Amino acid sequence: MLHEFEFRAPRTRAELLGVLADHGGLAKLMAGGTDVIVNLRAGGIKPRVVVDVKQVEGYGALTWSDTDGLVIRPATTINDLLRMPGLRERFPLLVACAHDLASYQIRNRATVIGNIVNASPCADMAPALLCLDARAVIASQAGEHEVPMREFITGVKRTVLLPGEVLDRVVVPASSVGARGGYAKLKRISGHDLGLVAVAVHKHGGELRVAVGSAAPTPVLVSGLKETDDAATVVAAAQAAISPISDLRCTKEYREHMVGVYIRRLLREVA
Amino acid sequence: MMRITVTVNGQVYERDVPGHRTLLHFLRQDLGLTGSKEGCGAGECGACTVLLDGHSVNACLVLAPEVDGRCVETVEGQAKDGKLSTIQDAFNRNHAVQCGFCTSGMVMSVQDLLVRTPKPSDDDIKEAIEGNFCRCTGYLQIIEAVRDASGRTEGKGGLKHA
Repeated sequence: MLHEFEFRAPRTRAELLGVLADHGGLAKLMAGGTDVIVNLRAGGIKPRVVVDVKQVEGYGALTWSDTDGLVIRPATTINDLLRMPGLRERFPLLVACAHDLASYQIRNRATVIGNIVNASPCADMAPALLCLDARAVIASQAGEHEVPMREFITGVKRTVLLPGEVLDRVVVPASSVGARGGYAKLKRISGHDLGLVAVAVHKHGGELRVAVGSAAPTPVLVSGLKETDDAATVVAAAQAAISPISDLRCTKEYREHMVGVYIRRLLREVA
Repeated sequence: MMRITVTVNGQVYERDVPGHRTLLHFLRQDLGLTGSKEGCGAGECGACTVLLDGHSVNACLVLAPEVDGRCVETVEGQAKDGKLSTIQDAFNRNHAVQCGFCTSGMVMSVQDLLVRTPKPSDDDIKEAIEGNFCRCTGYLQIIEAVRDASGRTEGKGGLKHA
């Protein structure tokens, strides 16, 4: 049983922002529900109102243009993204991360934006969006403002979003097309599982980036490396940037070691 | 309470539901359709898998008010006039059922797969059922049943544990 709350499904963005303004911190935004309903059931959150964003006009749109890049809206599911024609050619790292997120039926519900707003250290979409220089466009009744993805997640399950605000869209710039990338996630089983640690490697125009999940309070981006850097340099830079902990899934030493193993593997695979 | 109208296995139901009722509890308790099982209640096990407008979803992670105006298919919609569906028949013939707790969710995930991909590869099959846990565990027989349901009869018994 879930605790009692009021369910709202606004049809327009103005109505959505009005509901959020009225209820402030007592409102919980929900998209696919694959994290929110789990948290409701566990009693981790007790909102007065759950606000479904999927019915908002325009929030199901997923668009690409050479000028605006890829624009991802709040109702776009992981499988919507994976089914988008031409996406693998433009953003192979985005596809790799999306395909590794949970199970098929979860991917039918879970959304790209929900994965980011949930702000888990193991969020699968974060490494790709960090490497690809995505931007977060935040809306409230006061208007819109934009923050880079690397500033959006601020801690474990924490983001820059304030009560009354919604992550209206995530934009992956067209300038990131042509980047090569790969993703590797260490799991306890070969089926779907939370990552013990996950690594993305991204090469674009001579620059090398590494993003690491499940190895710090937030997903970590290491930028400014060069494609010509040797593996030892890249591994050392990544290991210096992370702060893994030991928990019931594995030790911090194992996480740190496997970050090195995966970086070396991906540097070979991402030609 | 909110009034919702939902089509389940082709039949239209109109019911009042509280905002916090999950689709799974709505199906099991309000409509008496207990084929969909509650294993974990958290989207891990897939025993509650149903189709929502044709897409497989965990019914434990859907709120009943969300399905207003939409179509849900559950395992109860599989057999027609006392005759098993192709998928159910293939599960039966390939010994893909042991305790049966995962079976209704498995069957619905396979239904989604075979509509999208009538001739799935073994990798397609494994991806489609990766969110459905069988703890008996009869994955090999289940994969063979899906092959059978899709008309592939060669290579029976040739599967190895991954």
